[in-house]
Amino acid sequence: MFGKRIDFAGAAGFVAFMAVLPLVFGGNYLIGVLTVSVIYGIWAVSWDFMSGLTGRENFGHSLFIGVGAYTAGFLNTKFGFSGWWSLPASMIAATVFALIIGLPTLRLRGPYFALAMLSGAVIMQRLMLIFWEQTGGEEGINGIEPLIHSQLGFYYFALATLVVTTALLLALARSHWGLILRAIRGDEATCQAAGINVTYYKIASLVISAAFAGAGGALYAHYQLQVSPQLFAVVTSITIITMVYVGGMASIYGPVGGAILLVLLTELLRDFGEWRLMVYSCTLILILFFLPNGLIAPTWRRVKAKLGRPQ
Amino acid sequence: MLEILIHGAVSSAIYAMLAVGFTLIFGVARVLNLAHGSFYALGAYGAYYFTSHLHMPLLPAALLAIGLVALFGVFVEKVLVRPMRRSQLAVLMITLAVALVVEQALFLTFGSEYRNVPEFVSRKFTIGGVDVGGQRLLALGVSVVLIGLLWLFIQRTRLGSAILAVSQDPEAASYMGIPSDRIFSIVMALSAALAAAAGVLAGPFLTVQPTMWLLPIVKAFAIVIVGGLGSIPGSILAALMLGYAETIVGYTISTSWTEIVSVAATLLMLVFRPAGMFGKRAAF
Amino acid sequence: MSALLEVSGLNKHFGGLQAVRDVSFSIEPGEIVGILGPNGAGKTTLYNLLTGFIPFDSGSVVFKGRNLRGLAPYRIAGLGISRTFQLCRPFIGMSVLENAVVGGLGAQGIDRSDLDQRALALLDQVGLGGKALLPVETLSYGDQRRLEIARALAAKPALLLLDEPFAGLGSGEINDLSALIRSVHAEQGLTVMLIEHKLHEFMRLVDRVIALDFGEMIAEGTPEDIVRHPAVIEAYIGRGDEQAEEQTDAA
Repeated sequence: MFGKRIDFAGAAGFVAFMAVLPLVFGGNYLIGVLTVSVIYGIWAVSWDFMSGLTGRENFGHSLFIGVGAYTAGFLNTKFGFSGWWSLPASMIAATVFALIIGLPTLRLRGPYFALAMLSGAVIMQRLMLIFWEQTGGEEGINGIEPLIHSQLGFYYFALATLVVTTALLLALARSHWGLILRAIRGDEATCQAAGINVTYYKIASLVISAAFAGAGGALYAHYQLQVSPQLFAVVTSITIITMVYVGGMASIYGPVGGAILLVLLTELLRDFGEWRLMVYSCTLILILFFLPNGLIAPTWRRVKAKLGRPQ
Repeated sequence: MLEILIHGAVSSAIYAMLAVGFTLIFGVARVLNLAHGSFYALGAYGAYYFTSHLHMPLLPAALLAIGLVALFGVFVEKVLVRPMRRSQLAVLMITLAVALVVEQALFLTFGSEYRNVPEFVSRKFTIGGVDVGGQRLLALGVSVVLIGLLWLFIQRTRLGSAILAVSQDPEAASYMGIPSDRIFSIVMALSAALAAAAGVLAGPFLTVQPTMWLLPIVKAFAIVIVGGLGSIPGSILAALMLGYAETIVGYTISTSWTEIVSVAATLLMLVFRPAGMFGKRAAF
Repeated sequence: MSALLEVSGLNKHFGGLQAVRDVSFSIEPGEIVGILGPNGAGKTTLYNLLTGFIPFDSGSVVFKGRNLRGLAPYRIAGLGISRTFQLCRPFIGMSVLENAVVGGLGAQGIDRSDLDQRALALLDQVGLGGKALLPVETLSYGDQRRLEIARALAAKPALLLLDEPFAGLGSGEINDLSALIRSVHAEQGLTVMLIEHKLHEFMRLVDRVIALDFGEMIAEGTPEDIVRHPAVIEAYIGRGDEQAEEQTDAA
């Protein structure tokens, strides 16, 4: 019980910190950086929910992000829908793609699934270029309307989305549902013997993961006011996976910290803009070697253990 | 028609060189090496750098590039992959990270522009009324020779049979006193060298840029899925099928559709026959 | 009383090998039935057929009046057949308690609100109460076997299939475990099938034995009858198996 209260206090403190940060320092530049970090947070959490819990690493998360962003772009610019339709529509579109790609590939063992997802994302990027007349090719779709005109307002909206996403996925992950996903990671045959419909749970978790990634994609589209095929790129997926590894796999909340930490850190290295991806890939290698459980989640557990111990 | 026949053969040969190495290291060490495409990119960049910056003649430059990439492959295997081998996913992550590091290193060194790798053969040949670049014919010939040599090496030499033994049953091989760690390094070197050779040979007629590792890895994966992971004859046959399928699509529909072919083939294969066409898990 | 499980004319071949040939038997509620047979006799294959992990070629399996043909393993498990595996397959990365809880998450029509308490009680019953919160990787082999049984019981099965539960255990552990099986059987009226090589324990535990050889049923009867059955003696001694000696000891 005490542990839960500390968790809640920690979460509240974190949200308050994120909410106050732009008020203290101000400036549209910082707000922009924070908005991006929060959107990456949504992507990282959604990745962790499926891949972290079930152990099926998804190397093509950018597929769902891109689908969400393009859905928002199409609806808003070509069909004149208000931006508020983007979030539900992009979640549905990403869900459809998750079903299409998940049904054939999720039966596969881990590495095959990872590579199949990677291939899926690569092919979507290609398709965006092939159908350039509809998708705008390399340029993508421009002229997407902002969701909220005030930058600060949009940041708070994105932050609220992150909080809701994380709370929902964390609650799911800590329920019997999440226990089943972790059991699938442990041993599929034993799950079957326990009467668990493994395929259903894997597909369902991919769908949930994709839906939130798609929503994040829509937010990103309405932040950048344009979308490009670059969203589907493998580096997008790798960036997210690095954030999850830094945060701590399967902890759900860790990846939020990982995402925000890495986005802010690389902003500090802004002079080395070209080095950003190099920094990410080297970080990933170092984490894999030296902190296989990540940084954020284990640190929080240690803090909690200290606070929880009676003085 | 003849055009399709010739160009299909050239694509197939390049793909086969990539896929055979990819499947070889999987068959032997159960490593799905996502850095495989980087070996290909490094081969092409190496040939470019040694000729245009160090002004070396092409042949030594090419051989040096291939040799260095083989060494790099051994480094990746020994230092980065080996400690991770307990988990296939960790291997996947670490090799993907290596691929990105290589991409970024190439980007930071050479920028994102296309680079020109010099041709061994610059004249064009006319075969049955079809003009074919000499370099393409050379790539075809060399890859057939290299894969043939690899085949002979595996079938006829002591080291080759040790590789075969490890791929079929690592545990039994270690009882027989075969040092499997050394075998992994050797196979990684061979695999990397083959990929680098493909890069050197195909570099002149393909685009050489930092992200060039990605499509080859997707294709190598497609080929080994279609051919059956770990099977060398399977991957050669699948490389032929894919090379020709792409060429036919390129001629009849549009070249921008060719990339779709491999991924569509992968997905179809995964749906209908996950074990691959020649599906056994055994390696050769 | 109608049979809980009714198997008739079951066949399965892998390539040219007939792994199970024309096997028929029935299990009455509350029985403990042993499956006996030398290595390769098709015992584990039989389990895999009954639980849907491998589809059978022909024949029928009827459980509680329901034909199981073509049902996925999780559906069959959900109907009330729990099994353990010859090699323990715990859920790595989870606590002992969580492992046991998962066992109860797939069963149909059982109350899950008190699952955590029930799983704890089961762990107590199998003697793992003090280790509930440990990571499952830290358990000894014998403890992993107990956990397998707790996990299988968490589903409140009507029929429990144990695959060599005593393999690799010392004699003290074997005594504990068979006492456990007996007590679960006595308290809950659970029907149990078990495959075992340790004939001594096996014979004291079971009501009835079904003997298999080369995928065929060669004998069926009480343990006393079975060890004297010429076909069984032939199956063991004819092959000069070590188990033959164990068997005469048991007799």
